[in-house]
Amino acid sequence: MLEMFKKVANASAVTIFILLIIVPLWLALDRLIWVAGPDMTNWFSALNENYISKEVVGFTFLQATLSTILTVFIGLPIAWQLGRYEWPFQSFIKSILTMPFVMPSIVAAIGFLNLMEIYDLRSNENTWFTILILAHAWFNLSLVIRFCEPVLSTLDPRLEEQIKLLPNGQSFLDRIKHFWAPLLLPSVAAAACMTFVFSFTSFALVKLITLGENTIESMMASIGSSAGIEGYQVSRNEIILGGSIIQFTVLLISLWLMSYLQQKRQSLLPKASEKIAKKRSRYGWFVVGPAIIFAIAPLLAILVDSFRVQTREQDNVTESWSTEGWEYAFKETVSLSSGWDALINSLSYAFVTLAIALPLGWILAQTIKDLEVKSPKLARIIDVTTMLPFAVSSVMIGLGVTIGMIKINPEFFYQLWFTPVIAHVMITTPFVVRIILPALRSIEPAYDECAMTLGVTPFKRLISIKIPMLRGSIIIAAIFTLAMSMGEFGASWVVTRNSDWTTLPIMIDTIREAYKPITNTASNAIASVLMLIALVLFTWAEKFRPKRDGGMF
Amino acid sequence: MVKKMKKEFACCLLVSMMMVSGCLTEKIDETIDDLVTDDYQFVDDGELIIVTYDVSGLTDTMISTFENDTGYDVKLIKLDDAGSILDHLMQYKGVQIADLALGLDNTYLQTALDNGVLVEHIAQNIPELDEKALIPYDGPYAVPFDQGYMCLNYDTQIVDGVNYTVPTSLWDLTEDEWKGKVVFPSPETSSPGRAFMTATTDYFANDNDSTTDWTDWWSAMAANDVIITSGWGEAYETHYTGGYGEWIDGHVGDAHIVVSYCHSPGVESWYNGNWTKSAALDLPRSAFHQVEYAAAVHGGNLNSSSEFIEYLLSEQVNNNMPTENFMYPVLNGSDLPEDGGYRYHSVIPAHPAEVSAEEIAQNMESWLEDWNRAMVDA
Amino acid sequence: MLECIDFEKSFEKPLFSGFNLQLKPGEIVAITGPSGSGKTTLLRCICGLEILDKGRIILNSEEITDVKPERRGIGLIFQKPVLYPHLSVEGNLKLGSKNKEIFDALEEVGLQGFNQRRVETLSGGEGQRVALARALLANPTVLLLDEPFSSIDDDLSDRLVSEVRELLKKRGCPAILVTHNKKIAENFADRVVSL
Repeated sequence: MLEMFKKVANASAVTIFILLIIVPLWLALDRLIWVAGPDMTNWFSALNENYISKEVVGFTFLQATLSTILTVFIGLPIAWQLGRYEWPFQSFIKSILTMPFVMPSIVAAIGFLNLMEIYDLRSNENTWFTILILAHAWFNLSLVIRFCEPVLSTLDPRLEEQIKLLPNGQSFLDRIKHFWAPLLLPSVAAAACMTFVFSFTSFALVKLITLGENTIESMMASIGSSAGIEGYQVSRNEIILGGSIIQFTVLLISLWLMSYLQQKRQSLLPKASEKIAKKRSRYGWFVVGPAIIFAIAPLLAILVDSFRVQTREQDNVTESWSTEGWEYAFKETVSLSSGWDALINSLSYAFVTLAIALPLGWILAQTIKDLEVKSPKLARIIDVTTMLPFAVSSVMIGLGVTIGMIKINPEFFYQLWFTPVIAHVMITTPFVVRIILPALRSIEPAYDECAMTLGVTPFKRLISIKIPMLRGSIIIAAIFTLAMSMGEFGASWVVTRNSDWTTLPIMIDTIREAYKPITNTASNAIASVLMLIALVLFTWAEKFRPKRDGGMF
Repeated sequence: MVKKMKKEFACCLLVSMMMVSGCLTEKIDETIDDLVTDDYQFVDDGELIIVTYDVSGLTDTMISTFENDTGYDVKLIKLDDAGSILDHLMQYKGVQIADLALGLDNTYLQTALDNGVLVEHIAQNIPELDEKALIPYDGPYAVPFDQGYMCLNYDTQIVDGVNYTVPTSLWDLTEDEWKGKVVFPSPETSSPGRAFMTATTDYFANDNDSTTDWTDWWSAMAANDVIITSGWGEAYETHYTGGYGEWIDGHVGDAHIVVSYCHSPGVESWYNGNWTKSAALDLPRSAFHQVEYAAAVHGGNLNSSSEFIEYLLSEQVNNNMPTENFMYPVLNGSDLPEDGGYRYHSVIPAHPAEVSAEEIAQNMESWLEDWNRAMVDA
Repeated sequence: MLECIDFEKSFEKPLFSGFNLQLKPGEIVAITGPSGSGKTTLLRCICGLEILDKGRIILNSEEITDVKPERRGIGLIFQKPVLYPHLSVEGNLKLGSKNKEIFDALEEVGLQGFNQRRVETLSGGEGQRVALARALLANPTVLLLDEPFSSIDDDLSDRLVSEVRELLKKRGCPAILVTHNKKIAENFADRVVSL
């Protein structure tokens, strides 16, 4: 009976995933092509023929490339210091430096905007671009640390001692060339690859920090509202098609490169040996100290600014400490939704997303795992299908939901409170699969087999063996799902803009754009709330993270 | 994170190609409602959902008074700009959730009418309106609720005749002096942008120079690094140095001339205790008379939307437009208030652009195409 | 009491065919063969973890060829002890039985007071003893042992061989041991068969 139930569950998980994730994207694509016409050359030439999209592709590549270079440049010395030397409160320092990665992008954007304000940097045309790149580095720094630090910290010291005695390892430069570079390269490249992907699809940071410059992602978001309507703004459909195909291809190639590098990396990641005695770094604080300040500053700026209120009289502006911003943020008004509504919406969406994405992702992972023995081909097809959404950015997913679902049946989907959850499930489920699948693979079949020979029933095997053994991964997947859903900006922005289902990230953006001075402070207050939630989730997840996984989660 | 990807990669490509090719053969059938207003059917669900954009200030008191008076429950869908309102109406055509569209102006109205997303309202108590407000459109599908003139505003502290000369022709803005110092909202996404672009078609058609037309000027502006923003708010608040934007976080302040209302300096002054450094620039044919409309949405609750139209045009509400919504009222004989230098700092253009509603309706689409080309080719 | 009739199994290459074995009540049989000859697979087929290509299994005159492993009542001791890392020794033993016999079972294998020990702190021999105690707690009709002594050093394994044999004989539990080590096979079993 249970076998039967399992088969049904597996089949329905695959079906739900395809219905929920592939079909809307397909329908959206279908509709866009129906409006724009099937001539692909038009889609791409439209990018150059429209003022709104003209320089977007170039800008997207340029900023992503520079962001990647800067991230590696800043991240590598930090990873070196952390990995090679003994630090007081080592794991605490590491947590602080890796925390930016879990911060919602809109929080990062507000933080950097505040910093620019303090140092009056935005008015200079050259500084905002640097700040954007710096913000991307802040955001992705943890990738370099997470990928490279384990390689450095668990390296068998004898390997280094040996190279020093060999003719090609006499000088530090020699050792870099013949030892460190080949050892670290796959890890650095993997981190760079992910950084490139995240910067390439950056939306909130680009929207808030640039002066109207767009990435493909932010451009598609801003023109998305007029897409999918027959005979109306046809060129925008072309732009979206051209843009999303370029984006999809770049992401796909990056993902492939990433997985190739990860495999190489795994093979070079030395196995943990006994605790290695390390020295304290004499000048290390000059690297780690500024890094800690860099990691904390934008967040601190948000918290501080949420208590700063402006009053102005003629040409004079005075600032004072006050809780007015917080009060305003959580006040119920007709024209602006209250912080409580947004908080409740965000929390509810996050937990509903969790309730769907976690079991769905888990069953999918289990299905893939089960099929790997019986029918490896089918397993691989499902495996790839669950990865496909990685190559689809969040704005594309948002457009998928608006054009592929709401537009197809507006009566049903438009008024449905549940609709944004669909986007969140689309975004989080692939991550759940990616976290649970390796965990499932790492459980030796003997554990299950042994329990069988002891006469333990399948249900009891699930409850008292499988779930407890997967506990860490399940909790990490759950926290990750909650955090991603709470901080999700791109898809929500596209989907919920035409509705009154405001979430915290969306509220931060809209309230900031309202024209009263107090709304800016209120926006910081909401950002503080989101930031604290992310911090709590992150601290909680840290407890369950395997010590040396070195991955992104 | 991901393992064994070579084959997977090929599969991904295959799947995506299948997705694309499948789409080429299919076609979705779209039903377009026949719009016969006489047969208009709707359910009065006791709700009024207003789709509008952030700029128009519907205050909480205004809305709660309406709710108390009529018993309707009001909800707002606040979008970015007038263009998004039209997008929204088009997106949900035939299955509307909104009942009232607030903020389509005379540059957008015709597209909405052509696409049948509006319905004749049934408001009864409409007072006598200002003649000017009825010039662009005087029919049953939309009612003006506020108006104003769009024109260039400049920062008098910087454009003081010493550091920068006050322009006497639009061509002056293509001079080196103004490189990167002028900001316009985009005609593709915002109504002030469309209004100003429309004015330029008239300005350059009557400038006694047959060798250049309005698109040449836009190309020259693009070459002179004009800043184009998606909406008015970003242009005025983020880039313009002469307005209240400089108090807002994220202010850049890199432009000293902006497209805004001829009465925007009046608003600044009224807010700031009779003080402003911003001034309207009254060049002949460069200002555009903009009328904003309230319109019942086809598919929405006609009772609640019509009642709100009446409410919006009642004296108590409409006469507050200058201080609540920062626009001229549309009631006959109404004007801006005197206090705080509101009226004193507001300019009524001596010779606004003369573009009829028919011309706008006929040409808007091709103008936008020409504008796009002018900007791209620059 | 346990009858293996005409076993056939191939796994990429043929492993065994026409294999027959009859186990009498209380009898301990050792099956020897070189590595790769399919000894482990044979045991896995008997307890149901692998499906036979051909052949039948009769246990106490009931055919169990298609019965699920958890219903067969045949215990298996793996080559390396399979102990659940998230459970204590006691937790591991409880998987075999819910009763209070746990203390007795631990005493039986000479591990008194090990209840609360974490499994990763156990040595190889101790781990194998816990696995044995757990298997016996489930009261198997037959116990299969897959080279359980191979990962333990010689002195200890000699002792364990005789201890386990004694224990099984005391309980009258029939058992099949597979091993490549002829000496262990002879010391442990009543009868040695080669595969």
